[in-house]
Amino acid sequence: MSYTRSLITGAILATGLTAISAVTASAAECIAPADPGGGWDFTCRTVGRLLTELGLEESTVQVTNMPGGVGAVAFANVAGKRASEGDLLVATSTVGVTQIAQGKYPGGVDVMRWVGMLGTDVGVITVPADSEYETIGDLLDALKADPTSVPVAGSSGAGGWDHIRLLMLADAAGMPGDDYKAIRWVQFDGGSPAVTQMLGGQVGAVSTDLGEIAGFVESGDIKILAALSDEPIPAFPDAPTAKDQGYDVTGYNWRGFYTGGDVSDEDYQAWVDELKSLFDTPEWKEAAEGNGLITVWRGGEEFEAYVADQAKQMEEISRSIGVIQ
Amino acid sequence: MDILTSLIGGFAVAVTPLNLALAVFGCFAGTLIGALPGLGPVNGVAILIPVAFAMKLEPGSALIMLSCIYYGCMYGGRISSIMLNIPGDEPAIMTTLDGYPMARKGQAAKALGISAVASFTGATLATLGLTFFAPLLAKAAIHFGPADYFALYVMAFATIGGVTGVNPFKTLLAAVLGLLLASVGLDPATGTARFTFGSYHLYDGFDPIVAIVGLFAVSEIIMYFESHATSGAGPAKLGRALPRLREVFEGFPAALRGSVIGFVCGVLPGAGASLGAFVSYSTEKQISDKKGTFGTGDPRGIAAPEAGNNAASGGALIPMLTLGVPGSGTTAVMLALLVSLNIQPGPLLFERQPDLVWGLIAALYLANLVLLLLNVPMVGIFTRLLSLPQWLLMPIVVMVSFIGIYSISHSSFDLFVMIGFGLLGYALRKFEISLVPVVLGLLLGADMENNLRRALSISGGDFGVLLQSPIALVIYGFTALMLLFSFGIAMRRRTAPLED
Amino acid sequence: MIDRIVGTVVFVISVSAFWVARGYEAGFGDPLGPAVFPQMVAALAAILSLGLILRPDPNPKAQSRPALTRQIATLAVLAGYVLLLEPLGFPLSTTLGTACLALLFGAGPAKAGLTGAAVGVSLFVIFDKVLGLPLPFAPALFG
Repeated sequence: MSYTRSLITGAILATGLTAISAVTASAAECIAPADPGGGWDFTCRTVGRLLTELGLEESTVQVTNMPGGVGAVAFANVAGKRASEGDLLVATSTVGVTQIAQGKYPGGVDVMRWVGMLGTDVGVITVPADSEYETIGDLLDALKADPTSVPVAGSSGAGGWDHIRLLMLADAAGMPGDDYKAIRWVQFDGGSPAVTQMLGGQVGAVSTDLGEIAGFVESGDIKILAALSDEPIPAFPDAPTAKDQGYDVTGYNWRGFYTGGDVSDEDYQAWVDELKSLFDTPEWKEAAEGNGLITVWRGGEEFEAYVADQAKQMEEISRSIGVIQ
Repeated sequence: MDILTSLIGGFAVAVTPLNLALAVFGCFAGTLIGALPGLGPVNGVAILIPVAFAMKLEPGSALIMLSCIYYGCMYGGRISSIMLNIPGDEPAIMTTLDGYPMARKGQAAKALGISAVASFTGATLATLGLTFFAPLLAKAAIHFGPADYFALYVMAFATIGGVTGVNPFKTLLAAVLGLLLASVGLDPATGTARFTFGSYHLYDGFDPIVAIVGLFAVSEIIMYFESHATSGAGPAKLGRALPRLREVFEGFPAALRGSVIGFVCGVLPGAGASLGAFVSYSTEKQISDKKGTFGTGDPRGIAAPEAGNNAASGGALIPMLTLGVPGSGTTAVMLALLVSLNIQPGPLLFERQPDLVWGLIAALYLANLVLLLLNVPMVGIFTRLLSLPQWLLMPIVVMVSFIGIYSISHSSFDLFVMIGFGLLGYALRKFEISLVPVVLGLLLGADMENNLRRALSISGGDFGVLLQSPIALVIYGFTALMLLFSFGIAMRRRTAPLED
Repeated sequence: MIDRIVGTVVFVISVSAFWVARGYEAGFGDPLGPAVFPQMVAALAAILSLGLILRPDPNPKAQSRPALTRQIATLAVLAGYVLLLEPLGFPLSTTLGTACLALLFGAGPAKAGLTGAAVGVSLFVIFDKVLGLPLPFAPALFG
C-alpha cells in the first residue's frame, strides 16, 4: 500500500511541477517546417540557441519540427490556427517563396508577416576541375548549340530554384524557350550528391547553392564557372560572377523568418529588433560563415517589400519557363 | 603506419574519464531510444543534439556522446523486434523474421545474445573498413551512377520473393503494394502531387516510421485479443534470463558474411542500413537455408541482418565523412550534427580536422566495445520485459509509439495514418501476407523510382542507358544467378519429401 | 476463398491507382514523367492479384475468431485519444488513453487508473522536459 501511495504522491508532485513550469515559461517558439537535419532546421536551431545564449530571450527557444509539403504544412498550420501568436517564428528561405510563387502553399506572401533575413547562400554553376568548359560562356554556348549535350544536376526538382537559376542564365544567353526547356535536368537529394555524381561522370555541370559544396571547390575537385551574386563571394574572391561575364543574373537563397499575419505591430517590431540585435553579433557572423552563408540583413518593411517583389519576379519566371500555366 | 599513428592519436583524444562516461551514457541512452518503437536513430540523435549543446560540451566530447547514441540506437532497434515483433527502427525489420519466432520458443535471451554479437561483429568490421579504406572506397563509390542504383533495387526486389517463408507470390504482391504506397506524395523530380487527394499532410508521403509502428505495433494489439481469446497462447514462454556463452556464437559465419554485404551497401551513398540488412538476410537465406528453417527462428536469420545493418551504418559514414553525402536519414542527422559543431564533412575533412575525425573513429571502436559489454547484462532486463503483465506492457508500448511520432511531427494526422496502417497490418496478417516486404517497398520505392528517372533524365528518355553501365550489367547477372540458385533449391526441397 | 477476396480488393485498388495516375504530368524537364512508375507498379500489382484470384492458396486452417467488441473498442480508444490529444493536452489525454487500454487488456480499474497517471505524467516529463520536445500541456485550461 505504501508503494502505491508513494507512487501517487510522486505523480501529483510531478504534475504540480510541470504545471508550474508550463504556466510560467511562455517561451518563444521557432517552427522548422522540415525534418531534423535540414537547412530550415539548422536556421531555427542556430538562431534559437544564439538568442538564448546571448540573453536576447530569457528562456530556451523551443524548436518544433513540422515537416510536410516543402513547408506547406507549417504555413497552413500558422495561417489557420496560430496567425496571431506573437512569440512564434517560422524559418524559411528563397525556396519557400518559390513554392508560394508557384501556388504550392495555401495562400500568398500577404498571408504572413515577414520578419527578416539574416544571411544568404549564393547559387553557383560548377563543373569538374578538368572540364573542357572554362567560363560560363563556354557552357552556355555548348547548350545553345545543342541543349541536350550537357546534362545538368541540382538539388531541386524541375522547376525548383536550382533549375530556375540555370534557366535564367540560359535566358540571359539568348536561348529561345523551347531550347532551354530541352536542357536535361537531373534532380538529386542535395548539392553534395549532385556534385559526387558529376565527379563520377554522370552529369556535366551542377547548379546549386555554394554552402553545401564549398569543400569540393576548396579541395580543387570542381571549379566555379559563375557565382550568381552581385559581388564576388568573400570565401572565393577569384570565382567570377555571372554579371562580370556579361550575363545579368543573380540567384541568392536567403535564410529568414515569417510570423503569423495577425501578429500585433509591437510583437512584430520586437522580433525585427531582436533579430537585428542578433545579426549584429560576432557569434552570428561566425555561425553563419561556418555554414557557408554570407551575412546580409533585411528586416521589417524593407524585408516585406523584398519578399513581395521576389515572389512576383519568381512567378513571372516560372510562368515564362512553363513551370506554371 | 600513418593511419595507425593517427588512430592512436584519436584514442588519446577519446579516452578521458569524461569522454568514457559520456560514451557509456550515450550507449545506454541510445540503446533505449533505439528499442522504443517510433523513436529511431534519426530522432534519437536529432533530439539529443540540443541536449549536448545545453551541456556545453567540447565538440570532440559532443561528437563522442552522439556517435555512441547513434551506434546504440542501431543496437537497440533489434530488441523490440525480437521481444515484441515490433521493429524499433527501419533497419531492424528483417530481425523480426527469425528473432520473434525464437523469442516465442523461449529463446529470447539467446536471440538477444546472438544479435548483440552479430551487431558487434558488423559494426567493428565496418569501423575497420572506415579506418583503413575510407578515401579509397569513397573514390570507388563515386562511379556508381543512377542506372547502377536502379539495378541494385531491381536485384533487391527480384529476390524478395524468397525472403519470407510463405507463398512467394504473396510476398512479391506485398512488396509491390509497398512500392505503390511509396509513390504517395510530392514527386521529387517535378513537384507533382500524387495520390494526395488534395491534402497537404500527404505531400511528404508516408513516413516509414509511422507505417512501421502502425503495421506492427497497432496491428499487434488488435490481433492480440483474438489470438489470446482462441488459442490461449498467452505470453511467450520464458526461457533463461541470460544466454549461454557458446550459444551467442551460433550463426557467427553468417554474421561475417552479413557484415561484408552490409558494409558494401553502406558505402554506396543512398543505399543505407535497411538495404544492407535486407540484402544480407536474403543472400544468407539463399545460400544456407537448406532445410527451410529460416523464418522459424534460425540463428543465422538473426545474425546476418543484424551484422548487415550495423555494418551498413558504419559503412555509410564513409560517403558522409569524405563526400558530405548522407546515405540515409540517420547519417543525414549525423551530418547535421557535424555541421552544427562547425565541422564541414567533405573531401578536405581528413586533412583539415584530423583530430576530430580520428577522435570520432576511435569513439566508434569504443562505442562498440561499450555496447557489447553493456548489452550482455542488459539482456536480462529485456527478457524480464516479457514477464510483465500484458495490461501493463501493451498500453505502454502503444503510448510510447504514439508519442514518439507525435513529438517529432506534431501532426495528429500522422497518428490517424498510423491507426490506418494498423488496420492494414491486421488485414494482411489475417490473409497471411508478410508485413516485412510492404515496409521494404515503402522504404526503398522512392529511391528506386528516383534513380530510374535520373538515369532517364541523363539519357533524354533512352532506356538503353540502363544497360550501358558495366556495373549495372554485373548486378543484373548476379541477380539472374541468385534467382536460378533459389529456384534450384526450391525444386530440390519440393522433391525431397518424396524421397523420404 | 479468402485469397480470392484479397486478390479482388488489390485488383480494384491497383486498377484505380493506375487510373488516377494517368492524369499526372509535368510541364517539362523529365522524360519519364511522374505517372509512369506508379502505373508500372500498379500494373504489376494488378497482374499479381489476378494470379491470386486464379490460383489461391487453401484457406488458412486455424483462423482465430475475431473478438470484435474489444477490437473495435481498442480502435475507438486510439482514435479518441488522437482527437483529444490537442484539446485536452498530453498528460490528461494520455492518462485517459492508457487507462482505457489497460482496462481493455484486463486490468482492474484501480490498476488501470494508476498506470494511466504514471504513464501520462512520466512520458510528459521525459519528452517535454528532459528531451525538449514540446508537447501540448493543457490548452483547454490555460488557453
